[in-house]
Amino acid sequence: MLQNKFLFNQSSVSLEIIGLPDYSNNENKDYISIISQWKLIIIDKPVIEGNLDHLKSIMKAFYSYSVSLLNDENAIYKSNLIDIIPENFYTHTLLLKSSKPEVKPLIIRIGNSVLSDIINCFDQLGSSNNVKNIYQKEFTSLKNKNYLNLLDKKNISNFLLPPLISLFSIFVVSTAFIYVYEGIDNNDNRSLLKTKNKLISIQSTDKLL
Amino acid sequence: MRNSFNNIDIKLEEFEALIKLAAEMAKLLYPFIRQILQSRDDLIRNPNAWNEFKNRYIELISERFNTNSMKVKRLLDPNSNDEVFNKIILTLALCVSEDGYLKLRTTLLNY
Repeated sequence: MLQNKFLFNQSSVSLEIIGLPDYSNNENKDYISIISQWKLIIIDKPVIEGNLDHLKSIMKAFYSYSVSLLNDENAIYKSNLIDIIPENFYTHTLLLKSSKPEVKPLIIRIGNSVLSDIINCFDQLGSSNNVKNIYQKEFTSLKNKNYLNLLDKKNISNFLLPPLISLFSIFVVSTAFIYVYEGIDNNDNRSLLKTKNKLISIQSTDKLL
Repeated sequence: MRNSFNNIDIKLEEFEALIKLAAEMAKLLYPFIRQILQSRDDLIRNPNAWNEFKNRYIELISERFNTNSMKVKRLLDPNSNDEVFNKIILTLALCVSEDGYLKLRTTLLNY
């Protein structure tokens, strides 16, 4: 059976995806939803290839690593298949571990330009209409990360503390004014209050009658 | 940090529009962005693109930013600004996909 092949290129990197459409779902014959093989070709470096699980873990590794690199976090990524370790701000070391026990790990050193090319190839694969989208989870979690930040204890305290402090200060100041306030004991005011009370009592008796 | 007396905060729509504009420009300018990154990766053999970018960026900062501010002074310090400039260029290089503006937005909001 003939397999479909798509190539995603970005400067020094190309990603080759080989696979078949799912005929049981009546998919287009030019579509790939079952990836049988993939190859990541970087100029002057050994070819990286494997099955679908390898591709998923490599994509996850590169996306997580690039996000932590940009967010000034500890950018070391380690997993069963791939480790990415920064040598400095400009060079990154990939340690690819084979699932076969007799194969030694492969070490590849790449710069920021190759790193961005690889990520762009994966982005092209993610947005391609010809290949089933195999990797959305990481990017959606990136989008949600900002909302999750709101739930952090630090952010909650930053959000709630200023209004609470302002309310408390208003309360303290107003209670202080109550103690400072002295009622005006003028005779005129007292007589006014008395007439007011009389009027209220007259109104209430009228209502009762 | 800016050398401006305009204190009006940017609206959310304007912020989104600026991000989209920056992401679209990054798409168009990707070959140049990559050339600058490559130049920084191999600074000993190929320093021209990086040095040109850095000099122009410093010129723009000196023109438009308040150079009395400590943050701006730190940006202009030649011993420490390589990492910051490299991060800016790398951020743009990673945002050239179709959903690039979402990535750029997330990166800026997390900054």
